[in-house]
Amino acid sequence: MLRDLKRIALEACVLIAFGALFGLTLNHPLVMDAFSGRLVSPQSTTEEVNSLAALPMPVLIDEVQQVMASGGLIVDARSPELYALEHIEGAVSLPMVEIDAELSEFLGTVARNRVIITYCSGFGCPDSFDLGMTLISSGYLDVRVFEGGFPEWRDAGLPILGEGK
Amino acid sequence: MKHAQIVLYHLSRLALAFTFVYAGAVKMQDVVAFAGHIAAYQILPYAMNYLVAATLPYVEFLAGLLLLLNTRVRPALVAVGGMNLVFMLALLSVLLRGLDIDCGCFDPGGGQDVSAAAALLRDVGLMILVVLVWWLRAGGERRVARGEEEPG
Repeated sequence: MLRDLKRIALEACVLIAFGALFGLTLNHPLVMDAFSGRLVSPQSTTEEVNSLAALPMPVLIDEVQQVMASGGLIVDARSPELYALEHIEGAVSLPMVEIDAELSEFLGTVARNRVIITYCSGFGCPDSFDLGMTLISSGYLDVRVFEGGFPEWRDAGLPILGEGK
Repeated sequence: MKHAQIVLYHLSRLALAFTFVYAGAVKMQDVVAFAGHIAAYQILPYAMNYLVAATLPYVEFLAGLLLLLNTRVRPALVAVGGMNLVFMLALLSVLLRGLDIDCGCFDPGGGQDVSAAAALLRDVGLMILVVLVWWLRAGGERRVARGEEEPG
């Protein structure tokens, strides 16, 4: 009985090791990038990535605060309704869903050399990355993406504004 | 095994098998989005989220496949049960910390939003299936060993 259980446990370990090894073989570039700090954006698996320089770089929450303090602009890519409800204090709204209508005004008011950080509703939400790409192709020189987005900011207890607060 | 037990065994085994094959297969399609879902749990360091996302779906798929093929069923049950236990602990910690996140159990890019409580309830159901399949298979093997039934 005990020998049986040992064999079962051993076979389960082999199963897990085999599955993990298979996954690592297929995804090792992603894991290597993650551990070396060259993190890729949530959308990069579905889009052709030719040049890293043309991509908005992901930033962590500490860097968002540093950029805010040094005069950078935080841009909310979520819908106007979500922005009105709650948003990062100091962020301006540039909804990805209304980008065609809103972009020209943004281009007219924000200098191209200003550091910009976009955010949306956290990991897996594509709007901040898409907005970052749009801003880069519009000529902005330093665009970054806060992938943790509004949920991470709120959960960290950092200042937010809006009707729902 | 009695006829009803055989039917129950295979139904439970197949339900588990399809759940894990499906869960693994859909998450393999978008590993980065799945990493984002794991990160939302705020349990692991940043890069570890990617490591788990890069491996877990393949273990789920493989364990589900073995259950589907009715081979190495108990090692597969140990793997499935172990993963399920980890998922339940993670979901429990989400509930205790009051985080409002999608569980990310299945399609990471599908837009379905399953609360932690609903996902935890579903995992309890899966755990019952794991125990049931183990118990029915062990019971069948004991009867075969005692010569009450032909091995099958």
